[in-house]
Amino acid sequence: MAKRISLDALLLAIALIIFVLEAQIPPLIPIPGVKLGLANIVTVYALFRTGARDAFAILICRILLGCIFSGQIMALLFSLGGGLFCFGAMLLLKRYLSEKQLWICSVVGAVFHNLGQMTVALLFFQTTAILAYLPVLIISGIVTGAFTGICAQLLINRLGRTRAR
Amino acid sequence: MWQTKTWLRLIAAVLLLCVGLTVWLATRPAASTVVEIVQNGTVLQRIDLAAVTEEYSFTVSDGNGGSNQITVQPGRICISAADCPDLICVHHGWLPDNRAPIVCLPHQLMILSVDDATTDASIDATAQ
Repeated sequence: MAKRISLDALLLAIALIIFVLEAQIPPLIPIPGVKLGLANIVTVYALFRTGARDAFAILICRILLGCIFSGQIMALLFSLGGGLFCFGAMLLLKRYLSEKQLWICSVVGAVFHNLGQMTVALLFFQTTAILAYLPVLIISGIVTGAFTGICAQLLINRLGRTRAR
Repeated sequence: MWQTKTWLRLIAAVLLLCVGLTVWLATRPAASTVVEIVQNGTVLQRIDLAAVTEEYSFTVSDGNGGSNQITVQPGRICISAADCPDLICVHHGWLPDNRAPIVCLPHQLMILSVDDATTDASIDATAQ
């Protein structure tokens, strides 16, 4: 149990560091909602290595603490919406994927993250005009999801022998 | 369990579809020259860009200490300055040169062509 808590805390710390560091990088593409989402590497890794419950705890803590550290309440709503959609999609998909296909989980997760953000934005702005951004956000989800997914895949391959629990 | 090849095909298909949609969305002509400045679902202003003869600027406050400076020129509009952290709204450039709505998420501000406007607020504004 102590080992489990330590590992979760370590993963949370890593995710938070990545999250805060990434927030310091100015947006490269001026489209609202587009970002690399590097912290998702940790979420994907945790989902496959520590199990769903621990991964969920890490994700929620990372979003809450990350938004407190970056001081953005608006970002919290969008992060939560995106995070929950992403986690739900990855959890459902995980059963149908082998560990070698982990990166696919990340791609689908990233796309659903952006779908979740879009849902929050639709509720928030009360207009369908922002749906103009949906195709770009799906493309961005596929590209960034593939990148973070490959990172997580390499991580799992290298750390494969290490028992998480 | 699907093979990786099947997944790749599915992802490629979605990607192609979205690229097509993006190109179509970005190049479709604007039917109207009227734009709306919307904050928190409320239409602050409607401007007919075709009726603008001289450049002017004004500032919109979000009521929480944040603000965006909006610049209007004949036929186009942009957010020229802002104090939001990401400045995505400023980097967006001019509407309708860049056809997508200008969005400033941190300040809940949006500038959009009325072609795209389907808000309850805009219906109210029309009714008035």
